[in-house]
Amino acid sequence: MVSAPMTTERTANRRRATTQRAVVEALLALGALVFIAPLVLICITALKPDSEIVHFTGIFPRHTTLQNFHDILGNPEEIPIFRWFGNSVFISTSVSLLVVAVSSLAAYSFARLNIPGRRYLFPLIIGTLMVPGQVLLVPVYLILNKLGWLDTPLALIVPAGGGAFGFFLLHQFFVTLPRELEEAAELDGCSRLGIFWNVVLPLSRPAIATLFIFTFVGSWNDFLGPLVFLDSADKYTLPIGIALFQTSYYAEYGLTLAASVLCTAPVIAMFLLFQRYIIQGIATSGLKD
Amino acid sequence: MTGNRGRLALSRGISAYLFALPFLVLFGLFVLFPLVYGLGLSVFKWEMLSGTPPQFAGLANYREALGDQYVSKAMVATVRFVVMAVVPTIALALLIAMGLHAVSAKRQAFYRAAYFVPTMITITVAGILWRWFYNSEFGLFNAYLGQFGIKIPWITDSGWAMPSIVLMTLWWTVGGPTVVLLAGLQNIPVSYYEAASLDGATGWQRFLHVTLPLLRPVLLFVGVLNVIGAFQVFGQVYMITNGGPELTTRTMVQLIYETAFNNYRIGYAAALSWLLFLVIAVFSFLQFRLSREK
Repeated sequence: MVSAPMTTERTANRRRATTQRAVVEALLALGALVFIAPLVLICITALKPDSEIVHFTGIFPRHTTLQNFHDILGNPEEIPIFRWFGNSVFISTSVSLLVVAVSSLAAYSFARLNIPGRRYLFPLIIGTLMVPGQVLLVPVYLILNKLGWLDTPLALIVPAGGGAFGFFLLHQFFVTLPRELEEAAELDGCSRLGIFWNVVLPLSRPAIATLFIFTFVGSWNDFLGPLVFLDSADKYTLPIGIALFQTSYYAEYGLTLAASVLCTAPVIAMFLLFQRYIIQGIATSGLKD
Repeated sequence: MTGNRGRLALSRGISAYLFALPFLVLFGLFVLFPLVYGLGLSVFKWEMLSGTPPQFAGLANYREALGDQYVSKAMVATVRFVVMAVVPTIALALLIAMGLHAVSAKRQAFYRAAYFVPTMITITVAGILWRWFYNSEFGLFNAYLGQFGIKIPWITDSGWAMPSIVLMTLWWTVGGPTVVLLAGLQNIPVSYYEAASLDGATGWQRFLHVTLPLLRPVLLFVGVLNVIGAFQVFGQVYMITNGGPELTTRTMVQLIYETAFNNYRIGYAAALSWLLFLVIAVFSFLQFRLSREK
């Protein structure tokens, strides 16, 4: 008898919690819709003829057409979009490989090999993470000019290898690896490089994948770098190519949006494929210090 | 014996340096040296187009900057952006993160992806898209608002332009801090909340006395990074307003970019970079101090 009101109170509480949760989730879903909507809109609108974009007649096209994609892909002289796509793929891949290679070697040296001077070098390197990129823009431009690398892919690839982010990310990962495996390999007579290659790297696959994807997307989307370091249209990356093209085809929104779809699709595909690594990377690099 | 050990240590030191060498060379050449080089440039008068060689000028560039009305205008625009963007970004990110934290793991991953996807888009595409939204004649926003007889001069009015840039930035960038804050929330042990509930704490009290204090290090990290990023806003304004109308959205980085690469005033641009760096450093320092005092 005594327990009866208790149970009703408990069910009421539980019911309140369930409704609360449903409301939270409904709001969350609504917000998610708002965040995705602009991307869906680009795709839908790229399928409209220009007349329907300039005179807005509703979200969905009255006449669906692939003309915009046809025009942008079929005009390699005026709009070298394949060239830009190729440049972007080449630059982003090279940057990611370079960053992974040099940062993993250096991070291993700092995490495990007791590099002399570590006490001074480590804070110096990590300290530059706080330096805003704009401070380096003008001096790096002058250095690249001296090296004769301006308006070549090298200008965007090589300097990226000196960034401290990858070094930091991998260092933080390497120090958490158990030492036993490396020690066993050392007893077996494995060289330093052999241990690094055969033991450490395979164990670090998740961290390396995270760094690779991060670097790739960052390089793919980079704006200020190509804008400042590249000059000729056939050297452009996709984002800068589209930005330039957009100034000369200002009125033709359909073409610009079709180009935007082509530029965004690979990154979104990469994100959906490797979501776990990307989110993990952000979360851990944000939490560890 | 000692000699042997010494030689061993030496060879270990050398091999350690060999591992780190490629990175250290690139770091030195493209991060450390440019940092010092830029500071050096900032005390020279160097107008690349005039053909005259750089001349030592002491603090003349800095003095010029302090009296330059374009610099103060750009600084005002930058600070307006920082003030309008940072707090809403962090607040919205925390709100979304708490929402995500409340739903089941499977659906959480789905929603999280939705909020995060905009950050994966290059500013060129995001800029083109939002300029179309904001267009006063055939833009999407005014097309819908027009049905209610409302017409907003999103990017053509000097009062509206910066808030419009901020709104777009919120959409573009809130995913990053959201993911970090969510990870922070997940690190708070459930037992703390249970204890607070047993003590009769309401939801709001649990937020104030459990969530916020335990999340503070993460909030500080996210806040500092966001302020550093916001002070360097460039892509959005370059793509959407190109600094207009009446230079109300021309930020410091755009001014530095134009000074260096349109006018080729190298020394002056370097000085402006270091002035901005100084402002950012002071703000970051203040943030750390304020959060420690609390």
